[in-house]
Amino acid sequence: MSTDKRITLQQAAEIVKNGSSLTFSGFTIWRRPFAVIFELIRQQKRGLHLIEVNGGPQTEFLVGAGCVDIWESCWVGHELYGKYGANLSRKVGKKEILVEDYSHAEMLFRFTAAAQGAPYAVTQTSLGTDIHNPDYDILGRAGKRDGKRIAKHKYVFAEDPFFGAGSQVLIPAAKVDVAILCVQQVGEEGTVRVNGQLYSDPEVARAADITIVMAEEIVPEEYLRRNADQNTIATFEVDHILECPFGAHPTGMFGKYDVDGPFLKDFYANTRTQEGFDAFAKEWIFGLDHIAYLEKLGWQRMLNLRANTALNYRPRK
Amino acid sequence: MSNYASPEEYNLADLLCCAASREVQDNEIVFAGTGLPMVAIMLAQKTHAPNLKLIFEAGTLDGRPPELPTSVGDARCETGASRSSGLFDAFSIAQRGYVDLGFLGGAEVDLYGNVNTTCIGDYLEPELRLTGSGGNPDINSFASRTVFIMVHEKRRFVENVSYITSPGWRVKKWPGGEFVHRRELYGSAFRGGPSAVISTAGVFRFDEQDGHMYLDTCHPGKTPAEIKELCQFNLDVSRVAGETAPPTREELHFIHDVLDPDQIFIPKVKKA
Repeated sequence: MSTDKRITLQQAAEIVKNGSSLTFSGFTIWRRPFAVIFELIRQQKRGLHLIEVNGGPQTEFLVGAGCVDIWESCWVGHELYGKYGANLSRKVGKKEILVEDYSHAEMLFRFTAAAQGAPYAVTQTSLGTDIHNPDYDILGRAGKRDGKRIAKHKYVFAEDPFFGAGSQVLIPAAKVDVAILCVQQVGEEGTVRVNGQLYSDPEVARAADITIVMAEEIVPEEYLRRNADQNTIATFEVDHILECPFGAHPTGMFGKYDVDGPFLKDFYANTRTQEGFDAFAKEWIFGLDHIAYLEKLGWQRMLNLRANTALNYRPRK
Repeated sequence: MSNYASPEEYNLADLLCCAASREVQDNEIVFAGTGLPMVAIMLAQKTHAPNLKLIFEAGTLDGRPPELPTSVGDARCETGASRSSGLFDAFSIAQRGYVDLGFLGGAEVDLYGNVNTTCIGDYLEPELRLTGSGGNPDINSFASRTVFIMVHEKRRFVENVSYITSPGWRVKKWPGGEFVHRRELYGSAFRGGPSAVISTAGVFRFDEQDGHMYLDTCHPGKTPAEIKELCQFNLDVSRVAGETAPPTREELHFIHDVLDPDQIFIPKVKKA
């Protein structure tokens, strides 16, 4: 009845082409699809256009590895494990990347519009800020606004025509080629069950043309369909699935494992320079596959991250 | 209130945390950021504002985490919440006007409370690219009051911020970029703006009519003249109400024994 949606990590990364636009599940340092991120770096993707509700370590790894030409988002850092995105900052300074700044709510509403098939969203956030400075339309300045995948305008102001509520900002739908999600469970046919905060996963999955779901486990559809009200994303919104335990490491996953703070601190401290990044990538990405990566991390480290299944996190005491 | 701690019993982080906590009123809906504000809000919940409702940006509504989350997307945020959801709900609720108070931070602030978290230097040729906006402008646009917690250095309290990430009381009207009162731009969505800046030197508030910052209280040991000297703009020190109240022993107990015993965000005073 269903076509088999299962693919491998290598195949997942191959779906992303040089120049593809790309987005992810998760929030800052939680539920980022790292096993695929590392595979994208191994496959040496170039010219990627990241459009993210918010960035995080996954942005920093892809940017540091030279995979990314354009980043549209609102924030990048490692939360308390690294206060800003040093790789992005370095590449911005050297003009090796184009950064288009929106606010967090604007990015979320842009994905909501795309998920609804609407061309734009309307909001009243961030009025009066330099986010709306016409001189700071970076993609416009670079001649990238073709009106196809990249909107003709960064934003447009409009007056509320219905209730006279004053100045509104219209922001373009976030049109992305591929969304890669990292979740707890997916069914054999693609039903997704996210536990804990959903972040912006339902919106990004629906917005993208191709949605790939990497899960800690693939479970029988019948099991998920017994409680359909607990499911997050429906089968036909998902194109490909794969199983990859600990696939979000070094970011965390609700109910499964906590963020590997020391790993992120180490990354932040050692990748300020390109040489530092290259050395880090040589040690942790190139020449390894997912199993070899887990073996290098070791049992002790992984067991110390494992969440208590009653609490959904690892208690500190 | 004779239960105030003496100076050797607390540090600057304790003082900021308690000053921030006292900005919260009972029954308010408060938008939490990562770090010290999270401790401050939970401290208010333990003391004078037991009925406050906490929203975490990543999608937790009315959260009561039993263990301190390390960020707003932390698995700990979901435990005990009224509802676990996502960003769509968190930002829709904020835009709808539910949020009374938000806590934010920044690298630079100007006289009007405009805050920069995007870059240092010319945006098109930055000396340093910072994190970017995050939800800072959104919370600051939607909430009735926002409180900024900042390190006080002269290079951070500036005449003009490098980039207005988050809107203060007088903001830029595009396309020209001339400064206007935010009431003019926000129309029916105008609900308020920055109500306080709590720096490592003092507590500052805003005259909502002219949009100018003024010094409200000096932290213990600081004088208005010293603090004025720490600002590049002409700080109004004519309305100083006195000294910032120190932490109470009860507040210190909650911070260090209950909320942040592992010193994730608030270090303990080192015993001599």
